[in-house]
Amino acid sequence: MDAIEVAGLVKRYGKIEALSGVDLSVPEGAVFGLVGPNGAGKTTLIKALVGSLRPTDGEVSVLGLSPLKDKARLRRQIGYMPQSPALYDDLSARDNVAFFGAAHHTPDLRKRVAEVIEFTDLANRANDPVHTFSGGMKRRVSLACALVHRPKMLFLDEPTAAVDPQLRSRFWTTFRELARDGATLFISTHLMDEAMLCDRISILRRGRVIASDSPRRILERGGTRLTVGREGGEEQSVIGGRPEDLAEALRPHGLSRDVTAVGVDADSLETVVLSIIGKEEG
Amino acid sequence: MRHTFAIARRVVKQLLRNPRFLVLSVAAPLVIVYLLKLFFDTMPEGFDVARYAVPVAAFLVHFLAFILCAIALVQERTAGTMERMFINGFRRIEIIGGYVLGFLGLATFQAVAALAEAIWLFELDYDGETLITLFVVVWLLAIASVMLGIFVSTFARHEGQVFPFIPLIILPSVFLSGLLVDVDELPQWAGWLGHAFPLFWANDVIQVVIEANWIFEDVWVSFSVLAGYGVALLLLASLTLREAE
Repeated sequence: MDAIEVAGLVKRYGKIEALSGVDLSVPEGAVFGLVGPNGAGKTTLIKALVGSLRPTDGEVSVLGLSPLKDKARLRRQIGYMPQSPALYDDLSARDNVAFFGAAHHTPDLRKRVAEVIEFTDLANRANDPVHTFSGGMKRRVSLACALVHRPKMLFLDEPTAAVDPQLRSRFWTTFRELARDGATLFISTHLMDEAMLCDRISILRRGRVIASDSPRRILERGGTRLTVGREGGEEQSVIGGRPEDLAEALRPHGLSRDVTAVGVDADSLETVVLSIIGKEEG
Repeated sequence: MRHTFAIARRVVKQLLRNPRFLVLSVAAPLVIVYLLKLFFDTMPEGFDVARYAVPVAAFLVHFLAFILCAIALVQERTAGTMERMFINGFRRIEIIGGYVLGFLGLATFQAVAALAEAIWLFELDYDGETLITLFVVVWLLAIASVMLGIFVSTFARHEGQVFPFIPLIILPSVFLSGLLVDVDELPQWAGWLGHAFPLFWANDVIQVVIEANWIFEDVWVSFSVLAGYGVALLLLASLTLREAE
C-alpha cells in the first residue's frame, strides 16, 4: 500500500506556479527522497502534504487521509521537521520537545521525552536553553520534536542542510532505524549522496516530477566510460550504466595477457540527474 | 482545554526565562507614570490630576499589552513555530486562548503596578469599591489589548510590520478616546470614531468612578462594551489566524 499518493498537484502564488502538476507515490515503510535544486518546489510540496498549504488543484492523500479535510486524524500520525529549526530559543531542549509532545495524546509524555532526548543524543544538554546550541544541535532538537509522538510518517525538509558530515551520518543511521521500526520517511534534499541512501527518489524540477525510481535504477540511466589499456595503446568506449552493460563490453576483450589495465568511470547520480534535467529542457 | 493550558504554560515559561523583557515591560509603565508626575507638577494650582492620572496608566497597560502580544505572535510566525504548532495538532482557538491566558498574568501585573504607582504618586484617595472597579476596568482593557495584538499580528509577516499599526490604532485612540480632552468637545465624526477604540470605554468607566457617589448602573454599559470588545476581537482573531497558506 502507498503511504502517499499525489495526483496533478498544482500550487500557484499569483502568477507564479510553484507546483505544476506533481504526480508521485511513496510506498509504506520506505525512505523516500525528494531531490531537486533550490527553488524546485520541495518545501511547497511537503507543506501541501502536511496540510499547511492549500493546493490550487490536484489530489493528495497521506496514510489514506486528506491533509486538509482529515487534518485532526492525520496530524496525530505524522511528524514534521521544517527546514528552519522552528524552536523556542528561550526554552530548553526538553521544554521544546515536551511542548510539541503535549499537542498529542502521548502516553507517559515525561518518559517519552526522556527517550527521544536520549535517542537524539541530547541528554547532556537537555536542560540548557536552545539559544546556546549550535546549528547541528538545534536540528537534533527539531528532529526530537518531530519524533516525540511516535509518528507513522515523518516529513523531513532538508534535515541535514548545513550539518557537518559526522552528524549527517548519524542522522541517516537514525532515519534507517526509524524505517526499520516501520515508519515511512519523506525526506527532501538537494544532496545526491543522500539521495543514494533512499529506497526511492523523485526528482523535482520547476514544480514537476521529472523522474521517479530507486536511485540505483536512475543511476543506470547514465553512461560509463570504459578504458581498456593494451600494450601499444588504449581503447575507450562509452557503455550503459547497468552492471550487465559492463560485462557485455568486457566480453570481447577477455583477459588476455596484452590487456594491462581496465578503467571504469561511471556517471555519478548528480551527472545522471543533470542529464535528465538537460533532456527535459530540450 | 489541555492544549490551551499547554500553550499558556509555555508562554509564561518563555516570559519567565526572559527577565530583561519582563522587567522592561513592567518598569516601562512605572517610569512613564513617574515622568507624568514630573510633568503634572509643573501645572498651575487647581489642575485636575485625577482626570488624567489613572487614564494614562490604563493607556500604558493597553499599549504595552497590545505591542508585546502582537510581536510575540509575529515572532511565532517568522520562526516557523506557529506552523509547527498547527501541524502538531494545536487548533486556532487553543492557540489564541493559550496566549490570552499566558499574557493575562503579565497584563494583571502591569495593571496592578501602574495603578498602584499612579494612586500613590498622585496621592489619589479612593474607597475600596472604586479601587477594585479601576483595577477590573484596566484589567479588561488589558485583555482586549491582548486580543487586539493577536488580531493585528495576523496582518504582519514580520515584527516591523506591527509598528505601522501604532499610528493607525493606538495613537488615534489617545486623541479620540477622551484621554486628553472630552469627546463632546471633538467634531461629531471624531467623537463617533473615538467610540471604536476600547480605550474610550475604559476611560468612560474611569471618569465616572473617580468622581464621588457613583453607582454601578452608571458604568455597566461601558463595562459590557469593553468586555464585548474582547469577545469580538477574540472571534475576529480566530477567523483571521491562518492555519494554511
